[in-house]
Amino acid sequence: MTTTVELSTVERAAGVLANLSGMTPKRLRELLDRPGGPRAALDAQVRAHAVDEAAVAALLARRATRVYVDGEAGYPIDDTIEDRPPALLAEGDVPEVFDRPRVAIVGTRSCTPHGRRDAHDLGAFLAQAGIAVVSGLAIGIDGAAHEGALANGSGGSAGGAIGVVATGLDIVYPRRHVTLFERVRTAGLLVSETGFGVGPHAGRFPVRNRIIAALADVTVVIEATLTGGARITADRALDYGRPVLAVPGSRRNPAAAGCNALLADGAHPLLDPDDVLIALGMSPGGRRGWGAPPPRPVPIGDPAAVLRACGGEPATTDQLASRTALPPDRVGLALRDLSKAGHVERSDGFWWPR
Amino acid sequence: MLASVTSATLVGVEGRPVTVEVHCSVGLPAYHVVGLPDTAVRESQARVRAALLSSQFDWPQKRITVNLAPAGLRKTGAGFELAVALGVLVAEEQLAADVLDGVAVLGELGLDGSVRAVPGVLAFTDALATTGTKTVVVPEENAAEAALVDGIDVRAARSLVELCDCLTGALPWPDWTPFEADTSEAGDGDGDDAESVDLADVRGLANARRALEVAAAGGHHLLLTGPPGVGKTMLARRLPTILAPLERHEALEVTRVHSVAGRSPRGGLARHRPFRAPHHTASVGALVGGGSGRPQPGEVTLAHHGILFLDELGEFPPRALDALRQPLEERAVRIARVPLSLRFPADFQLVACTNPCPCGRGGPTCQCNEIQRLRYRRRLSAPLLDRFDLRLAVRPPEPSDGPGEPSAVVRERVAAAAVRQGRRYDGCRWHTNAHIPAGALHRSVPLRGDAADAWRWSIDERDLTGRGAAHIRRVARTIADLDDAADVTEAHVLAAALLRDDVP
Repeated sequence: MTTTVELSTVERAAGVLANLSGMTPKRLRELLDRPGGPRAALDAQVRAHAVDEAAVAALLARRATRVYVDGEAGYPIDDTIEDRPPALLAEGDVPEVFDRPRVAIVGTRSCTPHGRRDAHDLGAFLAQAGIAVVSGLAIGIDGAAHEGALANGSGGSAGGAIGVVATGLDIVYPRRHVTLFERVRTAGLLVSETGFGVGPHAGRFPVRNRIIAALADVTVVIEATLTGGARITADRALDYGRPVLAVPGSRRNPAAAGCNALLADGAHPLLDPDDVLIALGMSPGGRRGWGAPPPRPVPIGDPAAVLRACGGEPATTDQLASRTALPPDRVGLALRDLSKAGHVERSDGFWWPR
Repeated sequence: MLASVTSATLVGVEGRPVTVEVHCSVGLPAYHVVGLPDTAVRESQARVRAALLSSQFDWPQKRITVNLAPAGLRKTGAGFELAVALGVLVAEEQLAADVLDGVAVLGELGLDGSVRAVPGVLAFTDALATTGTKTVVVPEENAAEAALVDGIDVRAARSLVELCDCLTGALPWPDWTPFEADTSEAGDGDGDDAESVDLADVRGLANARRALEVAAAGGHHLLLTGPPGVGKTMLARRLPTILAPLERHEALEVTRVHSVAGRSPRGGLARHRPFRAPHHTASVGALVGGGSGRPQPGEVTLAHHGILFLDELGEFPPRALDALRQPLEERAVRIARVPLSLRFPADFQLVACTNPCPCGRGGPTCQCNEIQRLRYRRRLSAPLLDRFDLRLAVRPPEPSDGPGEPSAVVRERVAAAAVRQGRRYDGCRWHTNAHIPAGALHRSVPLRGDAADAWRWSIDERDLTGRGAAHIRRVARTIADLDDAADVTEAHVLAAALLRDDVP
């Protein structure tokens, strides 16, 4: 970590308090609200529990951890939100991401290749438009959204990334995203409300999701199952009165069921990336999102029949052969041509129309 | 005083000639067996003595020493008893020594002097024939089995008394019924199952049927993944109905292995390729063979020249699956025990089914999260998965699908493809496309023009490893053989790529 962070007395005290063992948002709020402020509360804790304040403060300094305290300057969440965290810990090289418009892109871990692509493309589109992409760094949609946002490079006009984690900032979970974590650090901020050393715990993820919803001006759900973290994030965003956009999907796709349910409940359908800009109150630009697919040759003959047999949904080779009544050899040739031209891609034993 | 009789013992699934020496000398009456006998051999004293006495022969009140040579070889089973009994008679001059010249004797004795069948007679006879024995005496029940070996006279023995009379020429040798040259009865027990199912039962699934046909024709290992109930097992169970018939030397090996395992061939030489389907609770030993004392062949050996079918591959203990890797590579199992190291043949074709994930659905309708899927996939080690040339995601057939081609039609194509391969690989160390070594692949399966382009595209499309690229090449060759084509074309390569899904 190359940067150094100067913390105010209040921020440092709040940072140390947040790192006390067994600390909860409710308890932290109570301590911070005491007369005399965080400093006095910390002094009382030091006296009562022999807290090693210097060690924690040194750790905060060494990691260049920023502390955003509710009510102080720079705290990124509106005070209209009841259950906002009393303090946020953040690490990363681009704290300016909090000054930009923020959009959460969330979704299920068990996403389809279509969902992964949509999340990636939307992340890239928003980052290019100078919007910070907020997400939870989970496997699946979350990861794809940040990959997309970071694919445009950091700094400049790019929006950057805000990763809200449910663990301490010194823990990488899931481990597979260890490089993604590092990239978010260099192009934005990693945010957590828990102290160092807190590991992944199932109960903490839904609690974390409220921070994602609270940080984002608009929440976008790419793919969500009926019961899942993405639904929780969307529900919280609706509670906070923030616009929620959902990508409609096939009724056959369980990874789209949550989105379709949200749409039935009154979420806005996301049909074009510009819809997000409109929801933010920005004017849609001339940028190309996924509205206009890249030009590709129109298939004729066998490839056309095979593509028609896909019907816009994933299909196995067996199904395509049955529907077209073509021998497997000709289906193979047709799929090669379609794949080369970018009409289909292969994943998990299925052919996915793009 | 001294007698010497030829017999045989088992080492793994191979027979080894053993010389049984019997020496009777003056001294306190006693009976010793030397030459690494196991318990069954040691216990033979009681049976040999009772059998001789029941047959109205004398049991000498002398010091009897039985030596089984070569001394360093561990001897197992009760197959020496008849030889020991004859040895005692010769040593005591109750039987002329010259009647046993060039004769080997196999058989267990009953207390009444009757001769009982022993397992592994085919292996014994095979070993004796190659070491120059002219005549072999076997229990009557085993006579037809022994006669499967060429170049050796088979004589049947029913009882000790009758055998002695036959040896001296006082009685004619008893007749025995040879196996009929061609009966529809299967020799391997699974045959009846193979007769009642047919590939025509499978609706749709054109590509999966193609995979089955290619597996049968080229000997490629096949992995089917898919949700429960789509017909993975149904497909795999129909593989035996389209396999090429066993060649004679293969049939001999199969029959010998099964005879050693105690499944005496009742219908003669095995005609159908074995199809073994062990349950997923099978232990390592049950799969690859083993056991203390006399190691027994495992499922991989019983599936020699046939199919080893593992349903629910993910449920097998990882240790058992990893134990399969070496036999898959070497096409034989080495079992090492302190006194000996055995080599069981295990040239089998592996066919396996598995669910793609814990919920079983896989693909776009899967309800598992990525971590669950990853954990499930991790049960199947990558080195094992790498062995499967053909990997296919199977999904339910379309409602409009009709019945497919019957097995008989497919079987003809498979047999023709096998003949093509046999001709092409005449004089090679391998006989099927699946066994083309990586080093010989470019020479054996040349790809030109469009075919080479399609091959390179298939590799790039999915970032295949060198092994994956080789799989596609071998499978493309088999598809061309099924097509009766001399050269591998673009369509063959692309069809081969379709038989390798990125699953599970």
